[in-house]
Amino acid sequence: MADTRTLDHGTTPLRYARGWHCLGLASTFSDGKPHAINGFGTKLVVWQDSKGELNVLDGYCRHMGGDLTQGEVKGDNIACPFHDWRWGGDGKCKEIPYARRVPLRARTQRYETAVVNGQLLIWNDPEGSAADRDILPPELPDVLTDKYTPWSWHTKEINGSHCRELIDNVADMAHFYYVHFAFPTSFRNIFEGHTATQFMESTGRPDKTTGGYSDANSTLKSVATYYGPSYMINWLTVDYKGFVTEVILINCHIPTGPDSFTLQYGISVQKPEGLDDKTVDYIAERYTESFGEGFLQDVHIWENKVAVQNPLLCEEDGPVYQLRRWYEQFYTDVADIKPEMTDRFEFEVDTTKANEYWHAEVAENLAKRAADDPETVSH
Amino acid sequence: MPSFVPTNAETLEEQRRYTQARLVEVECLDCLAKVSVKKNSEHHTSIQWSAEAVAACPELCRRTRSDSRDGDRGCPRLAASIEAAVAGGALSVGAEDGY
Repeated sequence: MADTRTLDHGTTPLRYARGWHCLGLASTFSDGKPHAINGFGTKLVVWQDSKGELNVLDGYCRHMGGDLTQGEVKGDNIACPFHDWRWGGDGKCKEIPYARRVPLRARTQRYETAVVNGQLLIWNDPEGSAADRDILPPELPDVLTDKYTPWSWHTKEINGSHCRELIDNVADMAHFYYVHFAFPTSFRNIFEGHTATQFMESTGRPDKTTGGYSDANSTLKSVATYYGPSYMINWLTVDYKGFVTEVILINCHIPTGPDSFTLQYGISVQKPEGLDDKTVDYIAERYTESFGEGFLQDVHIWENKVAVQNPLLCEEDGPVYQLRRWYEQFYTDVADIKPEMTDRFEFEVDTTKANEYWHAEVAENLAKRAADDPETVSH
Repeated sequence: MPSFVPTNAETLEEQRRYTQARLVEVECLDCLAKVSVKKNSEHHTSIQWSAEAVAACPELCRRTRSDSRDGDRGCPRLAASIEAAVAGGALSVGAEDGY
């Protein structure tokens, strides 16, 4: 039938995004041992040298392909377990203990590093440009002091979807109701330059109890900004029965292959004044758990959906096409970036009708539940 | 190097429809900014800026880089100009075919 709509799956990009990518908490790499991180279609080796600097190289030795992540840190260098070739953080081979001299061209892929908010970030660019430190994510004031709980950090491997699926969430108003069980009452986006922001306010659904957004007693004000293609800071103000907590959620990922990525997320909670450490820790753990559940709700969708290059949108949907146009800049040579990819774009979704329909549905669900099981509801 | 390449020509038309169709130019009543606006309903607004328009807007030029937190609520003068464009009939409100 000619008027039947088909899904255009498109082709997945042949490159990995240009920009800063977070590999995890810097402290996890500071034990003087080599660490392996899958990323950009290869394995990376991360180690700390004697000056305390973190170094990141392609994980495979340019001599005979030995796995450097299984080698040893010797002095400031990483030594290959195969023939002991020693590589420095600048990507140059510094020493071959059995050779008269190091061959010319003994240089491997290195990644420039930065430590921001206690996390290790590396610069990736298929064009090989120098790291752009002007577009690093901002330092968060007071985080990593005793005003906030230390990062609770988690890692999850995602297979079978391109990381753009994760980015799409920035413009997705309605999934907060269906996937995260909340009423999004206000929803706006601003895309500009290398940042994409979602402003969202929500209250939990009283007919559901799982996930960080679903508690009917709490309202949420959320500002979430992607700084580049893969690192998002989400400032959450949670009002639970009048008790207000500031939560910071980091949501970042490293692409590992054409249709896989490693999701990482970290949570730090501003310590409420007047509470003892144990209670504060308890609160932080609950938030970590519930926002972690929120991610798992998304993951289940991603792992089972297909790629869609031509999504069909309704009036209540966010600006998916404009978001993807913004995201495209990171997969384009710098010289080919078009103005519309970075020009400021603002969008506000009208959530009025959606919330009318949703409230009616939830009321129906609650009525059904009351009829099925009067005991539960009376509590 | 290509990325996310559509395999269907109709997809390009969709991209145009969703990002450009029905955009109406609105001039700010207070500065020289000209933006493209679409309004599907009273609450919905889509605003496409250009680099020139941002440079012309004193409100946006006052921002500092890392303060997205308290944010960027947009320019109130432009919002008022859009309202005026709707009231004056230059900008019609309503979605066609849902986009």
